[in-house]
Amino acid sequence: MSLSTTSALAHLYRRAGFGATQAEIDAAAKDGFDAAVDKLVAGLSARDVAGDALKLPTLTPLAQSSIPGFNYDDYDEFMNLSTWWLGRMVVTDTPLREKLVLLMHEQFPTSYAKVAYADLMYNQNKIFRTLGAGPFDVLTQAVAQDPAMLIWLDTGTDLKAHPNENFARELMERFTMGIGNYSEKDVREAARAFTGWSLDYFTGEFFFNPYDHDNGEKRYLGHTGRFQGQDIIKIATHTTASSRWVVSRFWSWLAYPVTPHDPVVSDLAPRYKKDLNMTNLVEAIFHHPRFLSTQSLNGLIKQPIEFLVGTLRLLGLTTQAFGEGAFVYLLANLGQQPFVPFNVGGWGQNQYWLSTSASNSQLALAWAVAQYADLAAVADLNGNPGAQVDAITKMLAIQSWSSRTYQALWKLADKGSPQEVLVLALVSPEYLMN
Amino acid sequence: MSRSFTRRDFLSGSLSVGAAGALHTALGPVTTLAEPGALPAKSASITVTQQPRAKRVTWQDRTLVLCTLFGGNDGLNTVIPYASPTYRSLRGGVAIPESQAQPIGVVDNLKVGLHPALVGMKALWDAGQVAIVMGAGYPNPNYSHFQSMEIMMSADPSGDIPSGWIGRWLDATGASPTRALSVGPNLPQVFSGERQQGSTLADSTTSGDQQPDGDPYFMRSYAECEHTFHRETQLQAAIAQTGTNLLVVGAKAASALTSQKPPNLVSATDPGDIGTQFDVVAELIKAGLPTKAYGVSQSSFDTHAGELETQAGLLAQLDAAVENFIGAFPTGSKGLSPVIVIYSEFGRRPESNSSGGTDHGSANVVLVVGPSVKGGFYGDMQSLRRLDDMGNFRFTTDIRRVYATVLAEIMGVHPGDFVGAHPPLGFLS
Repeated sequence: MSLSTTSALAHLYRRAGFGATQAEIDAAAKDGFDAAVDKLVAGLSARDVAGDALKLPTLTPLAQSSIPGFNYDDYDEFMNLSTWWLGRMVVTDTPLREKLVLLMHEQFPTSYAKVAYADLMYNQNKIFRTLGAGPFDVLTQAVAQDPAMLIWLDTGTDLKAHPNENFARELMERFTMGIGNYSEKDVREAARAFTGWSLDYFTGEFFFNPYDHDNGEKRYLGHTGRFQGQDIIKIATHTTASSRWVVSRFWSWLAYPVTPHDPVVSDLAPRYKKDLNMTNLVEAIFHHPRFLSTQSLNGLIKQPIEFLVGTLRLLGLTTQAFGEGAFVYLLANLGQQPFVPFNVGGWGQNQYWLSTSASNSQLALAWAVAQYADLAAVADLNGNPGAQVDAITKMLAIQSWSSRTYQALWKLADKGSPQEVLVLALVSPEYLMN
Repeated sequence: MSRSFTRRDFLSGSLSVGAAGALHTALGPVTTLAEPGALPAKSASITVTQQPRAKRVTWQDRTLVLCTLFGGNDGLNTVIPYASPTYRSLRGGVAIPESQAQPIGVVDNLKVGLHPALVGMKALWDAGQVAIVMGAGYPNPNYSHFQSMEIMMSADPSGDIPSGWIGRWLDATGASPTRALSVGPNLPQVFSGERQQGSTLADSTTSGDQQPDGDPYFMRSYAECEHTFHRETQLQAAIAQTGTNLLVVGAKAASALTSQKPPNLVSATDPGDIGTQFDVVAELIKAGLPTKAYGVSQSSFDTHAGELETQAGLLAQLDAAVENFIGAFPTGSKGLSPVIVIYSEFGRRPESNSSGGTDHGSANVVLVVGPSVKGGFYGDMQSLRRLDDMGNFRFTTDIRRVYATVLAEIMGVHPGDFVGAHPPLGFLS
């Protein structure tokens, strides 16, 4: 069975961004799938006019922050920042870049719950936006020395004797290589190399303190030398294991979950390993034949942030529609609060998002969104439930319903309000798929 | 299904080998005899064992409350060998001062005490309601948070089995979605089976937060829409099944919760308040939900730096939550005998680092708390002198023995079917 161009495009826009309206899909269908990929990829180096126009909230730099650690003024800044980021995802002209920012947040999960400075979370977010589409090693070096990470994984507290292993371990396990590709000895040797890395709370910047640095020889992943932290990152990101790990992560987020041993990873990893360039990688993922396979089309459940942002985009709403920070709480109840990943492992996929209380919160979120939707055109079709369902189907760019869902929607349209029909469509198994 | 282990096993097996083979039993009350600091514990334990009971507490009366501490709680600073010079020299500035530890007895010739924040736990220990499993772990320790937690939740050190040990019990015992309930948005792996899934509750004691809001006609449409059908894709079927389960679980939980407290909103400053989670569980148990296993959790135990302050804060929250919770179930409440099992993915390394913290370790303590718990020490103290070549503890007690005890004495099943042949410990006998 061949896939229609519109279905392929709807899939592409959901995965490479936060979805597209039926009108956008129909317009793109004239030029075809490859042209749509080119346009999305071009957005990685284009200016995001709408996103840049969104006013950044006031954030107090670390150096000017009077109270060390957590404080409630900062919490207000943090909620404003969360609103801003979600708002940016909603209005962006360059959705693939904003999607990569979200995915890099999942690749380098860092939580405000420990970092405790909104401005530092913003700085990391900005690094993902400016460097996320470039070489992965360059990005990793920048993230590693950025204050948010120095606080989050305690790199900024290392001394020569008995360095803590937090960053060294997660660098290999989560960020660059994946488990099974290094030894406990490598973790300890790497930790030695990161000694002397520090955060200057007066300037708010990274600094290297040579007196706290262990300048001795380290044996790391088969290499020997007086390595510094940068060397450790360079070696780790250029391993074959890292190419398989990074490719498997992004394939899993954009197509369907795979392990680093999957054949599709073998297809893509060698090219990626040449320059570690993320733009080339995501482009190769979208052009890979398996990206439009049945497994891919049925392969992912929407993450809560994708659900919220995508729905607002489809309904032509912005985050301003909600009360202050209200949807941040709704996302927290769904288990995906931006800037607050569950832990350094980030969030899971698919089954991870399914639970009875999450289904309940999903309904609450659907009601919250639906009350702002302009449903006048649907209400005008009162008395014609089939037409009402068709209108909402088009509004949500749904390509096909099961007869189960269609019947449920039709019967509700017959007796209930357009708003109720929209809510039911939003929590249907079909819409919850990405 | 027959139970293999009973109270008799403790009475006869405490000083001998029980029917299961090397049955490891509570040596606490015996070894603490010579320790003056442990007098309350000793006498309390004896009081409990000698107390005539109108009706013996059986597995039918018990409910499991599985409390997961994410990040790797430092067991060595939870149950502390406070007088040991080896402990002091390994821990340096991350040692709990001897004057602050709350002595509870002697294990393997080491005086041990509870962390100073565990005030409520100390009172419960004195009342004979706390069992401490020492040196709990598994072969070939894994130092990844995620893989070690997978091993702890699946009870499979090879990492090959994706289902949780409670999930496998769900697979074997029917289809009701209310048998295992976890508080918080994400279902932990431990409550996930191959065919059956446990359910989750909102982190809120407010009735209305537990079930959907909508008029009856809308809710009927929702039920229709979440009714899975033949040939549906796997993920869509899973979404639909979860929605269907919500209607059952939400209604039960909402009718059990009578409180009208304002909704408890999750936020960055309050990531899943442990006290509220325990409150939700207490109310549901008292309302008599047909739930055998509840799950609660607390995060941020990954104390690579600044451990003393962080762990003290977290344990104080946990302690208050446990004390309140146990207080809601006076001893002898018929059919209401909750058993809290507190564990983490791993313990932390005995030797501290230069950041005022400790790195990932291995064997850990498991705390078991409840009115029908046989207080005391179980398993052997992990040795501070015989560390492995990575400087970590060698485990002395397989974690699957803890699970086997729970399966036999709370779930009422033969544990071997779920966690393999591991002899139960005596803490619920």
